[in-house]
Amino acid sequence: MEQIVFGIGITALTGALATIAGSAEDTESNIGSQGDPNSQVQLAPQMGFVHRIFNKAVAGEPPAYGLWCALGAGLAWAFMAMQVNAVLAIVIGSVLAVLVQGAYATTAYLGRTASLAKFGQPVYVDILKSMTSVTMAHAFIAIFSVVTLSHLINGALGHPFPLPLLGLIWGIALGAAGSATGNPYYGKERQYQNQKFGAGVPISASGNIVRYAEAGERNSLDNGFFTHKIGGSASGICFGLIVFLELWRTILFEQISAGWGAIIVGILMILIFTVVDRYIEVWARKNYGPYTEAKVAS
Amino acid sequence: MNPTAMVVGVVMLLIILALCWYVSPGMGLMALIGIVVGGVLIGFGTHFVPVGGAPAAMGQAPGIATGVAMLAAGAGLAGLFGGAWAAEQGLVVATITGGVGGGLMMAITCMMVNFVYVFGMGIPSASGKVAKDPITGDTQAEFKSQGTEGHGLPFVSFVGGVTGGFLGGAGGTLIYLQLLSLYEATLPAVMGVPPAQVMPIAVAAAGIFAVGLFLVNAVLTAYNITGTIEGPHDPKFKRWPRSIVASAVASALCGFFAILIVAI
Repeated sequence: MEQIVFGIGITALTGALATIAGSAEDTESNIGSQGDPNSQVQLAPQMGFVHRIFNKAVAGEPPAYGLWCALGAGLAWAFMAMQVNAVLAIVIGSVLAVLVQGAYATTAYLGRTASLAKFGQPVYVDILKSMTSVTMAHAFIAIFSVVTLSHLINGALGHPFPLPLLGLIWGIALGAAGSATGNPYYGKERQYQNQKFGAGVPISASGNIVRYAEAGERNSLDNGFFTHKIGGSASGICFGLIVFLELWRTILFEQISAGWGAIIVGILMILIFTVVDRYIEVWARKNYGPYTEAKVAS
Repeated sequence: MNPTAMVVGVVMLLIILALCWYVSPGMGLMALIGIVVGGVLIGFGTHFVPVGGAPAAMGQAPGIATGVAMLAAGAGLAGLFGGAWAAEQGLVVATITGGVGGGLMMAITCMMVNFVYVFGMGIPSASGKVAKDPITGDTQAEFKSQGTEGHGLPFVSFVGGVTGGFLGGAGGTLIYLQLLSLYEATLPAVMGVPPAQVMPIAVAAAGIFAVGLFLVNAVLTAYNITGTIEGPHDPKFKRWPRSIVASAVASALCGFFAILIVAI
């Protein structure tokens, strides 16, 4: 019983860390335009819309976070093997991984933006200096959270995978969940704030991203501030639920019926999310209504 | 479909299996067959995952706004995490546990995607590929906003995502379990150390190979569907046979090298 209570406590802690990681990851990627909306940031100057948006997308979020989290976890694991205190080891490992992220962000921005020189897009050094440090700060929060939850899963809950491998797996899952949930909000709702609310961006409007703020030109810090409220929170809840529920069903129900308990609870949870998803879909159809008459649409 | 390419693929698969039988006729061959089955499950499962890529991020096309290989990898690796934890419960339970883990990850992600579309952006789901949702019968065209190919995740895409996550998680776990049992049995003799000492190395090596094989198969499928797919109702889904052959050959080749490290 004591073991189960301990497991539930660790599970709750990892769920909270995952929520923070998801939120920080999405905000970091939005400030750096690393998700799929980077295509519009790259396209805009080619359509004549020169901008001051940061763009460091030379890899998708999942492989990038897989690398950074595996790096942070691997270094933390090495420091712990050298008898360094676990908390200190995780912090140092995450800091070193963030230095790699900073180098990546710098070279990615310079490379991507320099390739647009023929379209008149300048490389802004002030953007490079102010945005890179902010993405590094957010990346540190995300990497630190993932390495810590991986350490808890490995050390306290007894998962067989070594720390670097857990960092890789949860880093990729973090990037996948964060990009899936957060990208549409940045891509549609922020970059195309000039388009109608409640409709997708017409393909003919591609590249015409919003470039001006209340005062002066919009930059990526404005984008991070805006998207964090819904896109970042939703990404955090998404990744938090994934980690928490995966651990919860294992810790509480794996011993029931030789492992079948965790399977049945997992299937039940999938069914619950299916019902919730269907409710959301039907709610939208009823409340937002069709864009055109059914008989006219083709 | 190119019959010649399919035949060449099957012949290559048989050659690799024959080589494995020559090098390691017992456990090695059985492990390789398990790896091929796991790889095929991953490749087939990735076809179900609804991914819209960059256009989905602007609400211009349905699906999840990220890369297909990356999303499938995220779900499958979450499944592998659960399956590896349940390895002691036996092959069947661990494989299904891995599948449920992948399915659960996709169920949460797909639900949150629709949540953001509906409550964050005010956009209902609409498919661009079918007039009616094959499962619910909901008409789609009138909910498609002007100038787009659709947006969000219709119910059939949600079900496809969960199915893909399940197959990917189960396939990844199967590969892991096959390699783990092989390494546990052979590494002590190869390295000349007691079985207890070899366990962390066996777990780590099997886990890394499982992750690598997962990415190989997911990327192969991403090429097959040219980057985006709405789910099982998408016409691109019919391309799966050639991807199955490609996944089988690629998994066999990668698996063969994973077996060679203990067989030679």
